[in-house]
Amino acid sequence: MKKAFAMILALVLTLGLVACGNNGGGTEGSKELNIFMWGDYISGDMVSNFEKENGVKINLSYMNDNADSITKLTAGAGDEYDLIMTCDAYMESLIKGGYLEKLDPEKIPNAIANMNEAYWTGENRDYCVPYLMNYIYVVYDTERCPIEITCYNDLIKPEMKGQIGSIDGARNLFPIALIALGYDPNSTNEKEIAEAYDWLVKYNENVVAYGSTETNMLNGSISCMLTYDGNTANAMAELGDKNTLVIAPFTKDPVQLGFDLFVIPKGAKHMDMAYKFLNYMTDAEVMAGNLVEYPYSCPNDAAVAAASEEYRSGPAFDFDYKTNIFFQKDVGDTIAVYDKYYQMLKVG
Amino acid sequence: MKTAATKRMRRQKRNAVFGNIYAVLIYSIFYIPVAIMIAFSFNDAPRNYAWQGFTTKWYGELFSFSNHALWESLAYSVAIALISTLISVTIGVLGGIGLKKFEFRCKKFINMMLYVPIVVPEIVLAVAMLIIFMTIGIHLGMWTIIIGHCTFCIPYAVVTIKGRISGDNETLQEASMDLGANRTQTFWRVTVPSIMPGIMSAAFLSFTLSIDDVVMSNMLAGASKSTLPVLILSVNRTGVTPDINALTTLMVALMVLGMLVLNLIQAWQKKKVQRQIAEAERRISSAK
Amino acid sequence: MTTIAIAKKKKPHSRLPLLAQAGPVSVWMILFVTIPMLFIIYISFMTRGTFGGVEYDATIESYKTLMDVTYFQVIVKSLKVALVTTVSCLILGYPFAYYIARKPADVASKLIMLLMIPFWTNSLMRLNAWMLLFQTNGPVNNTLMRWGWINSPIKFIYTDGLVLLGLITNMLPFAVLPMYASIEKLQKSLLEASADLGATPMHTFLHVTLPLTFPGIFSAVILTFIPALGTYTVTDMLGGGKVLYIGNIIKNQFGVIRNWPLGAALSVLLLVITALLIFLYTRFAKIDELEVL
Repeated sequence: MKKAFAMILALVLTLGLVACGNNGGGTEGSKELNIFMWGDYISGDMVSNFEKENGVKINLSYMNDNADSITKLTAGAGDEYDLIMTCDAYMESLIKGGYLEKLDPEKIPNAIANMNEAYWTGENRDYCVPYLMNYIYVVYDTERCPIEITCYNDLIKPEMKGQIGSIDGARNLFPIALIALGYDPNSTNEKEIAEAYDWLVKYNENVVAYGSTETNMLNGSISCMLTYDGNTANAMAELGDKNTLVIAPFTKDPVQLGFDLFVIPKGAKHMDMAYKFLNYMTDAEVMAGNLVEYPYSCPNDAAVAAASEEYRSGPAFDFDYKTNIFFQKDVGDTIAVYDKYYQMLKVG
Repeated sequence: MKTAATKRMRRQKRNAVFGNIYAVLIYSIFYIPVAIMIAFSFNDAPRNYAWQGFTTKWYGELFSFSNHALWESLAYSVAIALISTLISVTIGVLGGIGLKKFEFRCKKFINMMLYVPIVVPEIVLAVAMLIIFMTIGIHLGMWTIIIGHCTFCIPYAVVTIKGRISGDNETLQEASMDLGANRTQTFWRVTVPSIMPGIMSAAFLSFTLSIDDVVMSNMLAGASKSTLPVLILSVNRTGVTPDINALTTLMVALMVLGMLVLNLIQAWQKKKVQRQIAEAERRISSAK
Repeated sequence: MTTIAIAKKKKPHSRLPLLAQAGPVSVWMILFVTIPMLFIIYISFMTRGTFGGVEYDATIESYKTLMDVTYFQVIVKSLKVALVTTVSCLILGYPFAYYIARKPADVASKLIMLLMIPFWTNSLMRLNAWMLLFQTNGPVNNTLMRWGWINSPIKFIYTDGLVLLGLITNMLPFAVLPMYASIEKLQKSLLEASADLGATPMHTFLHVTLPLTFPGIFSAVILTFIPALGTYTVTDMLGGGKVLYIGNIIKNQFGVIRNWPLGAALSVLLLVITALLIFLYTRFAKIDELEVL
């Protein structure tokens, strides 16, 4: 009995040592780069080519929620990483909270040369480099959807009951209601938010489920979805020739454009490598290669130009109101108001 | 009298049949999802939205090791689960015995604390631990995840083992000590074997809880790697890919195989002991 | 441990065994449960930081927020789900635990093992599997239609039934294990005595088996009810995320909403509710030890 325990102990300790040995401790001099981002979101070639070119080991670890980066940064764990993926909606708080390293533009010439200025503006520009971006728009099935959708208000029509699948989150849902009512999508006025709540109550009645939008569209549970362009691309690819999905031909209402961007947290230990990677990532050819595997919308104009014809004609990104967009802004303390109404919405 | 006996036998037989059917139904609740998961590892589609056709290419891809991120996170998860199980069971065995046998001033308090990790949503403890670790300056990594996992495994282990210790153990232990065995010998030769089933289930529970954990593994993870469940949840944003099904299938297959081998070894050892006993008996009788 | 004192022991022992046995668990619990929980209670009285995190400025604002009727509704809903899950697990689990416990020891241990193996796969993948099976154009609907039992697909997904199935899939073993342990300890001779004395099987069950296995049932309730109270992944995935539970709200406070004090206050509330329930339950059932297996 004792021997068996000793053996298990020895085995487990060796395993532990082996597993620990791999991460090398993170001391200076050992060449590595620690990136915290979404899983299945960067091509293996892009990573391994950078590793080869610079003789560095890239450690990827993955987030489960957009807010994970916020939680980690505010808890003070930022310096564990060299690059962290976050989205534009949190940038203001992160900058003002002093969690981020200000970027030196001279170290990222590729980004300066290639990035579309319209998507990389304001104060955010000094602290982040956009990676990929996503439109949040409405898609419907021409054969099954009872009505044609041309604006957000169509979504709350009674005919749409039990037809809609939607992405979730207070700051994704309230903007569309605010726009439908003619207000600023990033409103901080509680009266307007309350009205948006009333609008969303009707929307909520038509919604079948939040989340898994493309799965529900493919299995026939819904005929219309408020979703990301990337998920739409997957759904359309799955349908192939039998695709009957179209992007709703909006005429007036703007759609949300969100960014997945990289920031360098305060106290990052491999700053030089982080810069090198940001510059490498924004190289036109490199990003064009990444777009083959991950054909999402990209703020890097040169990369889009260098990308394949197939990418540029992807049906999920082919709509004509790409410039009629709005961004999710950090609403500061008003987030508590949004949260209150969001909870009321979900309690019913 | 005879009719009553046959009646009872018939009833027992009928009950046994019902019992078996019921057990199969309950097991199917657990195994149907696993079967579907395995089936979809053979799905000929880039993402598992629906069945598209049969292929074994995902296994090929796994074994070409092009996707080493998956293997790495699997190894990481298994290592964490094994170490967490070992620590939790060790502390659980000692704690279970100690909390059952002794009375001390803060025993009630410790018993209460054991409820907390079961009660409080994991995210709460995880964030609290994260902040505390950061404040003291503990580097995040494998060991912080292990600490997190042990914290919710230990209560299950303690409670499981405590339930196994009964009055008989006490008597046995005292008998052992009276016969001249020292404390360590008694512990290994008497106490541990008598609560072995409890230890086994504590180990089972700890391993299961640890290998499937997401929240602690995510919050307390360092920069180097992610565990498999964290990776899967991250990938789930755009749909799980069949290679993950393939990997999970292999993992289950390997673990089941390991269990079978362990069982076989046990059976073989039992047989060997029996043979030795038989041999000895034969010699004794032949000597007479 | 400074607070340790030996009270009831026949022979005067040294403190060493007590330290060695109760020491590690006590130290671990104090370091990694008590201290973080004290910290959480502390945070719950602080102010929400403008840019996330916490500002160390004492207030009871978070607890005032909790007075809102919305939270009351959320808690009632969460309690309801937990209750339904627990009752289902007990009803399904007890006969099953009984079945296993009546088998010879080596068979029983294999059956228990068989129960745990599915849990070595990822829970998200298992939930996904239920969705794949029951979705509108999934295998179940297709088969039923092919056999001509139904004309149009039945809507299984995002119904309460599927949510319950998911919860049962995740929780049932935690109900079965403790009940199995206490049924297994039950002496067969006792049941036979009851039968020989002329009791009907029903009578034996109600007056002998059930009372004697009550500690196991108690642990089963604790180990299913409490985790079910804080759960949200199953309800989100299989229920379509249309309803928020207390677990969702707490998670959001530490994530998107960045209101840690409120999240902490909600956790404290959850802790108080559970403590109260356990207290009432132990009083009512006259049990003071949680036992599993």
